[in-house]
Amino acid sequence: MSKQDGSSRQVTTGPVDDSATPILHVDMDAFFVSVELLKRPDLRGKPVLVGGTAGRGVVSAASYEARRYGVNSAMPMSLALQRCPNAVVLRGDYTSYAEYSRRVMTIFEEVTPLVEKLSIDEAFLDVSGARRLHGSPAEIAWTLRQRVHRETGLTCSVGVAATKFVAKVASSRSKPDGMLVVPADRTLEFLHPLPVSALWGVGRVTEESLTRIGLRTVGDVAAMPAEALERALGPALAAKLSHLAMGVDARDVVTGREEKSIGHEVTFGYDLTDLEQLRRELLRLSDDVAVRLRRAGLVGRTVVLKLRYGDFRTVTRSRTLGEPTDVARRIYDEASAALGELAGDGARIRLIGVRAEQLRPSGSGAMLWDPDEEWREAERTIDEVTARFGRGSVRPAALVRPSAARVESTRRKNASGGGATP
Amino acid sequence: MKFQVNRDVFSEAVSFAVKLLPQRTTLPILSGVLIQANADGLVLSSFDYEVSSQTEIQADVEEQGTVLVSGRLLAEIAGRLPNAPVRVATEESRISVSCGSASFTLLSMPVEEYPSIPEIGAQSGVVPAEEFAAAVAQVAVAASRDDVTPVITGVQLEVRENNLSLVATDRYRVAVRELDWDGGTVASEETVTALVPARTLQEVGKTFGHSGTISVSITSRDDRELIAFSAEKKTVTSLLIKGNFPPVRRLFPETVENYAVVNTAELIEATRRVALVLEREAALRYSFTTDGLTLEAIGSEQAQASESIDAILTGDDTVVSLKPQFLLDGLGAVHSEFVRVSFTKTENPNKPGPVLITSQSSREQAGADSYRYLLQPNLLLR
Repeated sequence: MSKQDGSSRQVTTGPVDDSATPILHVDMDAFFVSVELLKRPDLRGKPVLVGGTAGRGVVSAASYEARRYGVNSAMPMSLALQRCPNAVVLRGDYTSYAEYSRRVMTIFEEVTPLVEKLSIDEAFLDVSGARRLHGSPAEIAWTLRQRVHRETGLTCSVGVAATKFVAKVASSRSKPDGMLVVPADRTLEFLHPLPVSALWGVGRVTEESLTRIGLRTVGDVAAMPAEALERALGPALAAKLSHLAMGVDARDVVTGREEKSIGHEVTFGYDLTDLEQLRRELLRLSDDVAVRLRRAGLVGRTVVLKLRYGDFRTVTRSRTLGEPTDVARRIYDEASAALGELAGDGARIRLIGVRAEQLRPSGSGAMLWDPDEEWREAERTIDEVTARFGRGSVRPAALVRPSAARVESTRRKNASGGGATP
Repeated sequence: MKFQVNRDVFSEAVSFAVKLLPQRTTLPILSGVLIQANADGLVLSSFDYEVSSQTEIQADVEEQGTVLVSGRLLAEIAGRLPNAPVRVATEESRISVSCGSASFTLLSMPVEEYPSIPEIGAQSGVVPAEEFAAAVAQVAVAASRDDVTPVITGVQLEVRENNLSLVATDRYRVAVRELDWDGGTVASEETVTALVPARTLQEVGKTFGHSGTISVSITSRDDRELIAFSAEKKTVTSLLIKGNFPPVRRLFPETVENYAVVNTAELIEATRRVALVLEREAALRYSFTTDGLTLEAIGSEQAQASESIDAILTGDDTVVSLKPQFLLDGLGAVHSEFVRVSFTKTENPNKPGPVLITSQSSREQAGADSYRYLLQPNLLLR
């Protein structure tokens, strides 16, 4: 594939046509090294390797400075140190990589629920449903890069294209710290000059087979008659490569999780018994859930209330709505009704949570009449105010007074494979 | 109990009695069909506390009596018997069914525990069967299938003087059909309403569609509201759904100036074709201009489609985004060569108004306004 040292970098700077390119491939730049550099800023600008030094240790990651010496990841450390003798070698700290990965993925998931994690440091995003809330794919890509950098100190590269394959190639071309939008109608123009090794599924052996029949670029593969390609590669690989070479890649972004939920919960510093106080917390949590639903362009069909009593007994109650909602008032009404059945009479509550389940994209079915319409309008207005003036500038009156009992709030956006629903 | 009966008559009667039984029931005895043999013939009934079916047929009864047998099993047996008279008799706790050289022995269930079939009140009115069946089919497509909100899983029947309206909705669309109602001499000025489960009403439509006229009776007794449909010695009763049907009639516009007239079959065909590339739940974009109607399926990365057909537009150029299946349901129900698609506006400029589907007997001539189908478009995404 292309050299990994950034020397053949292509990036998008001006306005481009991103109207038919909803797929983003986000790839962290030299992820492990970058995380290490956050702890060791003094090593910035120096060749740095992460990996094992003992015996057969291999390079897990190399800084761009090291890559200029011909060092790549997965290379034996001994060879890497031959090529780049003055490199600083660090041992990997996988716990902190996982933590940074989680933080980065959370940022992605705030933009769209359609995030397909490929590995610890790269993911595909389908932002076709996020346009109204977050802007065009290129705008989203730009914002993501800003947010990742601001919130983690790390940089990433983003490829924006009509398909996963092209998006992935685009991100690799824009590295490091760049973005590249490949407009849908210029996909072939972008792909065809690339070497055949840019195609997915072309490793060393296939590359040799292709070179033998005179195919060096993706364009060569595209121009090759199907029969000839089949003879050289066999029918399955030939079909796959000629599709990719024409920019055709039918794979969807899959989240790998059947069903999702959006939920918030809070554990109190001391157990609460007062129903009014609990309701106020519930209103706040419902508001948090609804804001995230709207931001993700989703609506939920089921509202689940979770309570943990002072003795750690945990119960949940779910209520299914007639029509899916993204309105805090509606979520609160349902959860609050369930709360009335479970709390009160002095029951000591340690934790309360609410989540929306059975999520689907909003706006997929418009209703003739909408019981939540007024609340929805009001809450959308609050979203807009919040976007301009920051969170908390407008809140329900009941929430103006801060809650003393609140000590720890956990956000969760989790897989909900059945489980605790009675 | 002992009787002999014509095979076809028996088979038809059993299959009618069993048709509305629920697939699963908590009480096994409710899955039975009750056979009463008396001097005049047989009465076959089923009842699950919600819906009952009852029919009378002729038979040679040798010995009177009442038995209860598994409904589905008896229906399957009756449907496969050879062409010969069917003989049924009780033998201790069992029931024997024999026909030609085939014979069956079935378990008899305790008759004493079977609930009594609801009595039918006085007749409220009469409707022409074929028209009623057509009306039910036209309207029931719009009923909700979601049990979370029971009121809209029903079809609302409204009787006003000599008119019966059927209304159904699932919040996304509303279908209304008017037809003649013969209330006899007791025609009241007051509106009588009955909210009938859509599934039951559809079976009633299918079963009674060729019966000439259907007698309808709506009664309220002991806090239980009941509707009964009878024709040709067959009766179906159903409990009414409790609750208030949403006031959907006011969603219909009084007048519409902006509309297009399209050939119904062409619109159906084009919609089906273009919708092939759509992902589930996605909507089609319909652009009406003075040049005609263009359908476009966009928003999917993998495939796009478009098609143009003739349309005569009155008023402004209009673009709406509709779920193809919802439109097809309406188009399939208008039963006219041409269809009028009317566009309404709302106070909110970002929210499209509902689209009204009505019949049109020719390009120029509006059809009889007995069927109206109102559909909410999706927001237009840029």
